[in-house]
Amino acid sequence: MATTATTTATATVTAAAATANFVPTPTPPHPLPAAPPALRAPSTLGPVKSEAPPTPSSSTATAAGAEDPSYIITVPSYSAWFSFDSIHDTERRLLPEFFEGEAAAASGCRGPHAYKYYRDSLIRRFRARPGRRLTLTEARRGLVGDVGSVRRVFDFLEEWGLINYGALPSGSKQAKEKREEAAQQSSLPSGATVPRKLCTGCRTVCGLAYYACDKADISLCTRCYVNNNYRPGLSPANFKRVEITEDAKADWTDKETLHLLEAVLHYGEDWKKVSEHVGSRSEKDCIARFIRLPFGEQFMGPKEDRMGFENNDDNSDEPGADVSKRLHLTPLADASNPIMAQVAFLSAIVGSDVASAAAQAAISAQSRVDLNDGEIETSINSTKEEESSHTNGGSVNDLLKEVAANARAQLEKERNSIEQSLSNIVDVQMKEIQDEICRFEQKEMLMEKERQQLNCLRDLLFTDQLAVMQHQQRTPAVVTECKGDEKPKPVVNMS
Amino acid sequence: MKTVSLGASRPSTVYFRMPTRDNLVPIRVDVEVDGQRYRDAFTWNPRDPDSEIISFAKRTAKDLKLPANFVPQMLQSIQGQLAEFRSYEGQEMQIKEKIVPLKIDLRVNNTVIRDQFLWDIGNLDSDPEEFARTLCDDLNITDPEVGPAIAVSIREQLYEIASQSVSVMREKQMSKKGRRAPEFSSNSKAVNNAVDLFKYFGSKGSVIRKRKEWYLYEPVVDVVASEEDGKEEVNNSSRPKKRAEEEKVASLQSL
Repeated sequence: MATTATTTATATVTAAAATANFVPTPTPPHPLPAAPPALRAPSTLGPVKSEAPPTPSSSTATAAGAEDPSYIITVPSYSAWFSFDSIHDTERRLLPEFFEGEAAAASGCRGPHAYKYYRDSLIRRFRARPGRRLTLTEARRGLVGDVGSVRRVFDFLEEWGLINYGALPSGSKQAKEKREEAAQQSSLPSGATVPRKLCTGCRTVCGLAYYACDKADISLCTRCYVNNNYRPGLSPANFKRVEITEDAKADWTDKETLHLLEAVLHYGEDWKKVSEHVGSRSEKDCIARFIRLPFGEQFMGPKEDRMGFENNDDNSDEPGADVSKRLHLTPLADASNPIMAQVAFLSAIVGSDVASAAAQAAISAQSRVDLNDGEIETSINSTKEEESSHTNGGSVNDLLKEVAANARAQLEKERNSIEQSLSNIVDVQMKEIQDEICRFEQKEMLMEKERQQLNCLRDLLFTDQLAVMQHQQRTPAVVTECKGDEKPKPVVNMS
Repeated sequence: MKTVSLGASRPSTVYFRMPTRDNLVPIRVDVEVDGQRYRDAFTWNPRDPDSEIISFAKRTAKDLKLPANFVPQMLQSIQGQLAEFRSYEGQEMQIKEKIVPLKIDLRVNNTVIRDQFLWDIGNLDSDPEEFARTLCDDLNITDPEVGPAIAVSIREQLYEIASQSVSVMREKQMSKKGRRAPEFSSNSKAVNNAVDLFKYFGSKGSVIRKRKEWYLYEPVVDVVASEEDGKEEVNNSSRPKKRAEEEKVASLQSL
C-alpha cells in the first residue's frame, strides 16, 4: 500500500491559502516567527528544496523520481517546524505524556519512539491521499498501540494542520474556527513557563492544586479526584492535596501595570475602584503589585535608611496624598535604579535646600563609616548626579576629592603592608628550612664518624683473628694432626 | 553444564495487571443494530477517563457513518469489558515463570496469518505491540491493519491467562483455609498448557528446536486474492491442513 512508500510530494505553503486560511490569532505557541511565503519541504526530500523557487505567489514543486503524479500538500505556516527526522519542541510541549517522566525512558506504547511512529505513520497515511479526510478510526486501525494515545496524536496533528489540512468535507469555515480555538486553548497551558503538572487520569493540565497518591504514584487533577477517576484499588484517603505555586498566574503584563498606575492616580487609595479599573485583578493583587513597583515602597510608611538619610522622617510621612507631586514624579520614577527613583521622589517633595543638606550629612556619615570601601565611589557618584541638579556644588566637590584621595592613600598603605608581611613570612620559612638543613648535615657527620669507627673495629678484629690463627698454627706445627682450632688438644697428644 | 532449575522457582505475587510493559486492555466490540454490524478490536488504556470512552464511541460512529443508535451499545460493551478488567484489579495474582504457547489465527481483510510461539508470562516487561510490529515488518505484510489485530489477539490470550491465575490464587487461598488440598487441584487450561521447562532445558535438552519441527513454528501468511469466504482459502494452500494435523501429533509427543 502506498503508505509504506515515501511521500511523493513536497509540502509547500501557498501564500494565498495561508493568508486566507489563517487569521492572525493562531500565532500561537511556537516561538518561531511564521513567514507566510516560506517554502517548507520535509527533510526527507532534500534535493527538491533547491529546485523549488520560493516565490511569494502560490508555487508548486514536484518531487523527483516518483511513480505517482505529483500533487501539492499544503502545510500551514504555523506548522512549518515539522520534519520527519526529528521531534520538535512544540510537540514535546503539547504532548508531554510521551516525553516526560518514565515515558521518556520507555518505549512501547509510551515514549518518544512510539510518538514518532504514530506521528509518521499518520502523516504518511494522510499524504498518500491528501484530498481525502483521514478519520481517526481508519487511522488507528492501522496502528499498533492503544487508541487513547493514537487519538491524542491524531488530534494534535489535525489541529496543527499536518493532517487533514484543506481536506475538510464538513464546511471549511467551521473547522477553521475550531482549529483556531483549539490552537488558542493549547496556547494557554503552554504560555506558562512553570513546568505544569499533568493529571495521570485525564492527561490535562492540573489547575491550582492536584492530588498526589503515595501508594501508586498517581497524581490527579481536582476533577478526576472528585469523579473518583482512578484505580479501584485506591481510596480517596490515599490522596494528598498539593498546591501549585501561583507564580504562573501572577505575571502582570505591561498593560495591566499601566491600568494600575492610572487607577491609582485617579482613585488614590480606593483599591476597590483600582481593581475595577485594572479588571482581572483582585484588590489584594493590586496592592501587592503596586507596592512591588519601583516607587511604590515609599508609600508604605517609615522604612529603614538606605542612603543614610538621617533627617528623613518628615518626608516619609506623606503617603502619596499629593497628586500633583506624583505627576511630576512619574518620569523619574520609572528609572530602573530604585534608589535613584526614591531619591528623585523625596527630593521633589522636600525641596532643594533640605535635600542638599541631607545629602551632605549622608556623605559625611558615609565617609566616617567606611572609607576603605570601593563602593563609596558609586554612591558618591550617584549623590553627585543628584547634587548636580541643585546649586550647591562647590564645597561638596572639594570635600569629595579629598575623601577620594584619602581613600586611595589608605588603599596603597594596605597593599604595602600586605606585601611586607608576605615577605616576612617567606623569610621565616626560608630560615626554618636552612636550620633543618644544618641539622641534617650534622647528623650526617656523626654518622660518618660512626662508620669510620666501625671500620676500625672491624680491622682490629680481623687482625686479632689473624694473630690467633697464626699462633695456633705455630703451636700445632709440632702436632701435625691439628687442623683447626676447635678444641684444645690434650697435652697427651704431644709426642 | 549443570541443569538449571526453572519453572515454579520463585512465584511472585503482584496485583492484577496485564503481564506486559503497558497495562493495556484488549477490547472487542461486536454490535448489531438494524441489520448493520460493527465489529472491532482495539487496545485501551484503562487509565483514560470515562469521558474518553464516550467521545471515542461517538467519534468512531461518526467516522464510520454509523447511525447514532450504535453508540449506546458500543458504550455498554466497552464499559462492560473495562469494568470486568477493573474488577480483577484489586486482587492478587501469582506470576510464575511460566512459558506458555500462544497462537495466532487471524484473518484481516485479505490476509490470513497463523503462527504459534512461546511467550514468557513472568516477564512483566513484555510488549505485544512491539512483537506485532516486528512480525509485520519481517513478513512484509502490507496491510497495516494486521498489526493491531495481532497485538490484540496476543493481549487477549495474555488477559485470559492472567485472569485465570487470579482465580488460581483465590482457590489456593480458599483451600488454605480448609484442608490441605493437593496442589494440582486447579484444572485451568493455562497450567496444563504451560511448558515444562525442566524437560526442555534439562540436562539432555537444548534450546534449539529439532530441525524437523521447525516448520511447525513458522508463521504462515497467505493473501487471499479473491473475496470468497474461508473455504476457498483452505483449498488454495494445502499446508495449513497438513500443519494442523502435524501440530496435534507433535504436541502430543512433546508433552
